[in-house]
Amino acid sequence: MSWIKEGELNLLEKISASILKAGPMPKHVAFIMDGNRRFARRKNMERQEGHMQGFDKLAETLRWCKHLNIQEVTVYAFSIENFKRTKDEVEGLMELAKQKFERLLEERENLEKHGVCIRVLGDLNLLPLDLQRLIAKAVLATRAHNKCFLNVCFAYTSRYEMTNAVREMAWGVEQGLIQASDVSEALLSQCLYSNNSPNPDLLIRTSGEVRLSDFLLWQTSHTCLVFQSVLWPEYSFWNLCEAILQYQVNHKSIQNARDVHREHQKLLQLEADRTCALSAEHLQRHGNGKPADAGRRQEALSHYVARRQERVRHFLEALTTKRDSFFTDLCDGGLA
Amino acid sequence: MALLYGLLWRLLLFLLHSIRALVSCLRVRLRNWKGRLWERAMATLLLPMSMAGFPDHRGKLNLDARRTAGNGNCLPNRRHRWLTDGRSLEKLPSHIGLLVVEEEPSYTDIANLVVWCMAVGISYVSIYDNHGIFRKNNSRLLEVILIQQQHLLGTEGSKYNVEFLSDCADKPHNNVLSCRPTVKVLSPEDGKQSIVEAAQQLCRSVENKERSSKDITVSMLDTLLRESNNIPDPELVVKFGLVDSTLGFLPWHIRLTEFISLPSHRNISYEDFWGALQRYCACQQRLGQ
Repeated sequence: MSWIKEGELNLLEKISASILKAGPMPKHVAFIMDGNRRFARRKNMERQEGHMQGFDKLAETLRWCKHLNIQEVTVYAFSIENFKRTKDEVEGLMELAKQKFERLLEERENLEKHGVCIRVLGDLNLLPLDLQRLIAKAVLATRAHNKCFLNVCFAYTSRYEMTNAVREMAWGVEQGLIQASDVSEALLSQCLYSNNSPNPDLLIRTSGEVRLSDFLLWQTSHTCLVFQSVLWPEYSFWNLCEAILQYQVNHKSIQNARDVHREHQKLLQLEADRTCALSAEHLQRHGNGKPADAGRRQEALSHYVARRQERVRHFLEALTTKRDSFFTDLCDGGLA
Repeated sequence: MALLYGLLWRLLLFLLHSIRALVSCLRVRLRNWKGRLWERAMATLLLPMSMAGFPDHRGKLNLDARRTAGNGNCLPNRRHRWLTDGRSLEKLPSHIGLLVVEEEPSYTDIANLVVWCMAVGISYVSIYDNHGIFRKNNSRLLEVILIQQQHLLGTEGSKYNVEFLSDCADKPHNNVLSCRPTVKVLSPEDGKQSIVEAAQQLCRSVENKERSSKDITVSMLDTLLRESNNIPDPELVVKFGLVDSTLGFLPWHIRLTEFISLPSHRNISYEDFWGALQRYCACQQRLGQ
């Protein structure tokens, strides 16, 4: 089965989609595609068959999302915790991933036609080398596409991602690019695997579980969470509509909470800048002994902010280069 | 056509809002109705003689007994019932989060919830609202908790001592020496901002060449975020209100937390709370396997 499913919605679906689209639509939806194994057990299938059907459902869901003008989808494909499963199942899942990424490379043209950009979020180092190379190739092949985005979380947990972001910032400090005082909520967000995406507006978990299981914990702090009882391989267009409707009912209050949070964050940043600028100025003042007036202080503050922003920009550029070269090195290694 | 779709959407949303309002209204009504039925049954069974002459007071008296529980014999009974309730569950969270996503929080109802948590045997209770209102009015909340504790558990209830953890402007209230039930009031600052602070701390130690960036691990951050108290992550968060979001509740700590929603914390009854605990009990975790 391929990554892209062609086909239009039927009339009833089309009308419902148009009605939904009259309201605020989520731009980015995240899925925890839970219930493949339970589905297989219920239907007396092999476990692997359940996982295959789960993937097919993903392709179908992407088609619905396209028709609903949802540009970005993030899915939880494989958690670092999943390495604890039986060797058999892990190997099966790795094999499935290999097949799918090979298939993706074959479908390159089709992906280009639809403008699909595929990103893989997670620590690729934990995966077998041949899969790493395939993923790197797929990511590099589609990176320039910009109509819709599919983020696949693979070898991922949110705590690991946050820790990795801290590690990257610490690396920046080691390299002398930033100072420890430059660390902020905004910078941490920029160092996550998901740094190129806006936060999801809607998170859907299927199969009736009511927890996040270490998925996008940072990014979903102001996201509409919808828990649905249907198993993932049985997910339907109408389930998706129901979730979007729930998002629309919640939209206003979550948006308000987001705005409040953003304002608060700005205030915190200003406070931090003021403290840093003051202490820098205090050091200078020791030189000539005169206390600064308000104008001088303001000047020192804006000077400090400009320098901080410059540092952060440099650091983020360096980080991007570092991450890009990880992928290109993998690809070159594969060719050699 | 677009206009028609717009109209239809508005209609649909209006319907949804009304259904939600209706459901939460019915819930309260139904409970009151059930409560009244219970009162009547009790009255006819136990107090037919003494109450016969004062029909007007009957309802009020019973209501008072239910609501404030100021008097007599039902206290130890109730305390005993709550304790056995807690023991009867297969699993009980050791740390529960009460997440209020409503405007106008009600201190008494939150205090009742805290007391019930203690009574069934939950050791840690975190209270959160996304405006930080409880945090700002920390001392008032503690006062109300102590009052409700007296009301619901009676004087003997003081063996459930509250330890109030907070590092905000108010001075910490360490009420008596017990270390068992611990109540913590959280605000949005305890969420992402605490992760940022931990990150700063680690980066500073890298700056001072105390450690290398490669040494930073998940468990290192986890230890920093647990603080000194070593409180476990909340296994259960009960969310009160119609907004389906965590609104910034401790992003690091809710990795395996089960979320259970109740429409409102206002006028919440013990039965509602008990229902949430039972639902938690039915949740199974596979931990990745």
